[in-house]
Amino acid sequence: MQMWVYIVRRVLLVVPVIIGVMSITFALVSALPKSIRILSYFGPSKFGDGPTVDCERFGLKPPYPGATECPNPWWVHGTKALGLNLPIPVQWGKYVVDSFTGHWGFTGADSAATSMLSIGTGTPVLTVLSWYLPYTLELAALSLLFILLFSIPLGNLSAVYRNRPIDQASRVMSFSGFALPPFLLAILVLLALALLSGGYHAICSGTTTPYFLWYGSWPVWSCPPYNAAPYFGVQPAWIGPNFQTSPTHFPTIDALIHGDYYLAWDTIRRIIFPALTIAFTSMAGILRFVRNSMLEVMNLDFIRTARSKGVPERTVIRRHAGRNSLNVTITVLGLTFAFFIGGFPITELIFNLKGVGLVLAYSVLPPQDFGLIFGTTLLFTIIVVAANIIVDILYAYLDPRVRLG
Amino acid sequence: MAGSANPPGPEPPPAAPSGGAVPAARPLPGAARSRAASPGRRPSPRVAQLKRTAYFFRQNTLAMAGLVVILFFLIIALVAPFYPGPNESLTIYCGSYYPGSTGNSSGICNTVCTYALGGTPPGPNCYAVPAEEPSLLAPTVSLRPLSIGSFPLGSLTEVPSGNLFYNTATGLIKGAPWSLSISIAIVGSGALIGLLLGALAGYLGGLTDEVIMRFTDIFLSIPALLLVLVVLSVAGQLGGFTSTLYGRLAILIGAFVVTWWPFYTRIVRGQVLVTREQKYIEAAKASGARPGRVLVRHIIPNSVYPVLVQFSLDVGTIPIYLGTIIYLGYPIWPTALFPEWGTITAKAVSQEFVSAQVLLCQISTSCTFPWWQILFPGLTVFLFAIAVNFLSDGLRDALDPRLRR
Repeated sequence: MQMWVYIVRRVLLVVPVIIGVMSITFALVSALPKSIRILSYFGPSKFGDGPTVDCERFGLKPPYPGATECPNPWWVHGTKALGLNLPIPVQWGKYVVDSFTGHWGFTGADSAATSMLSIGTGTPVLTVLSWYLPYTLELAALSLLFILLFSIPLGNLSAVYRNRPIDQASRVMSFSGFALPPFLLAILVLLALALLSGGYHAICSGTTTPYFLWYGSWPVWSCPPYNAAPYFGVQPAWIGPNFQTSPTHFPTIDALIHGDYYLAWDTIRRIIFPALTIAFTSMAGILRFVRNSMLEVMNLDFIRTARSKGVPERTVIRRHAGRNSLNVTITVLGLTFAFFIGGFPITELIFNLKGVGLVLAYSVLPPQDFGLIFGTTLLFTIIVVAANIIVDILYAYLDPRVRLG
Repeated sequence: MAGSANPPGPEPPPAAPSGGAVPAARPLPGAARSRAASPGRRPSPRVAQLKRTAYFFRQNTLAMAGLVVILFFLIIALVAPFYPGPNESLTIYCGSYYPGSTGNSSGICNTVCTYALGGTPPGPNCYAVPAEEPSLLAPTVSLRPLSIGSFPLGSLTEVPSGNLFYNTATGLIKGAPWSLSISIAIVGSGALIGLLLGALAGYLGGLTDEVIMRFTDIFLSIPALLLVLVVLSVAGQLGGFTSTLYGRLAILIGAFVVTWWPFYTRIVRGQVLVTREQKYIEAAKASGARPGRVLVRHIIPNSVYPVLVQFSLDVGTIPIYLGTIIYLGYPIWPTALFPEWGTITAKAVSQEFVSAQVLLCQISTSCTFPWWQILFPGLTVFLFAIAVNFLSDGLRDALDPRLRR
């Protein structure tokens, strides 16, 4: 099979999965009471949230002479506008088609997320997510970099020096990453940084301490609110309202385009520690898999052959064994990607990073913003699926048996 | 472990000879031989196998340590109902507020009073927040004796409502039965569903396999934490039974089961695919066993070990997940302070609690951050997760003949 045929086939296979995910979110939305669904899009009304209202109280014209109960205009309008009067399969079809064509609904009228993020009510969900996604992608890229940077050499080392101190140390690290609650780890990192640079009282005392010069707006605890824009602290002049002047929405890339090297470095500096936190918590499984696969590879015949030919041990480990255990690393990375992405809401909330995870963290707070919740979930799922495709393609590229067999 | 009281003899039986590619393929040749030699001594090869597994398990120090910790937690959970609960006659009130506060419930307590329920408050300054404590600002934090009960758990801003507070030690002890039973219930139901579906998919194959595995793919591509959050936030809107404690618990377990079954389905299916090709399955079929009997008596018992390992691994992550959800601000429990380990940890590092402490530190000349309220719950969650990790590692090593050394 040609490589491009394999890629096209792999991408096409994803469509049913995405439709399935949409069906799950659709089922969940349909489980919500109608009044809540209308409320979350149109906000509260003076008519209340029931299907009918008292005619006399609001001076409405009765549907037939002598009737006391009138249809609630808010309910009628909401039902019609949201298509709640249609049959369920038709609603499902509209939902799927709309999701594929980029109509992901609007932010809620009266939700915690809209006020805490100040993104305005009735903003299209996809627009909101497009503001926040680039930052999450930068964070994900840096975390992945850290994961690869640490797990491959460490896993190889602990396989080579099996049951020696370095192996035990890496095992302890992997266990701790698994067993430490991510929120606790993130807060400990935050507190350690605060203590190391500026002292505990410095957390909210302004921007003059070294802590704030370096780590900007991470701690929001009992501090004045910061800008809701995806950029922290003081916004440079070239970022206009609604980001018209930011071409890509990726903070680092935008800053580089505008020649603002300080801001580019500043942005990266702020996500180093969150990325390390995420990497540490999601590295546990990967590290173990790398170690085990390396151990298995080291026992294979071709390693013995290479050694008996007199290939130096360094080269055997790097070239022969290391490259062959790389496949496993990539596979495991694909398998654990959903877990990795699931750690973003909590990390972004604690470090106050303006990413999609923060949007989700705020939108589950009551009063919930269902448009944002489902939009964020769908977006994260698409990221996971896309990552899996990339992993599969990489795997097929590294191991021709996959696409040929 | 059933065989722990009765060691299998001084000579450990040899590891399975070559051809033991299947983990835990039973009966082992060694067991069959010894039974033939002395028919009366070992009644069942399964018991012999269990004893052998227990022997290898006991050789593993880390696994035994994990088992001891788990047993310790189990004992605590068993005696917890007899442990004196939070002192119901003591209520904690604000003595006075810090300057500038209007004294309403949004203020921060400067002092805290405890007095008998129904009695009169002893005065405005009945229990001052200790001012002589060394500040965290000091380069050396003096670790004072473990007085883990001296601060109320939870936000001090909640105090004027007269809530009942657990202190940390009581909360952890009272939380043991809840944490353990919730964890086991959640993972157990997920594993049971996954076991049945995975066995069906692997054994029947064909269309059933295809349908079940496509569903698995869909669920696996949604990040677990996100799916739990979405299900919880939808279910939280339903009202009625769902607002009681047991309703909340049912929703919580349901939300996790929806998320968790696909992992087990995938593991079991892979295992069943290997198991069903074994000779003893062929023999069972040849001797006229019906498919249902083959599945229940032969395939499921022989594919259950990976589930056991994964089960013991996953049980430890439930308090972490619960704490994460609580930290994100989603109210799982009907009360603010439910005694569950993850919840206690999350509350101890929550924004409102820490910011209240920060404010206290800012208004008093020196203060101690209540580190013990973070350390001990965090340590409990960490120990639990790491103990089950060691336990599952030991189980895997003992159950898989290839890994025995």
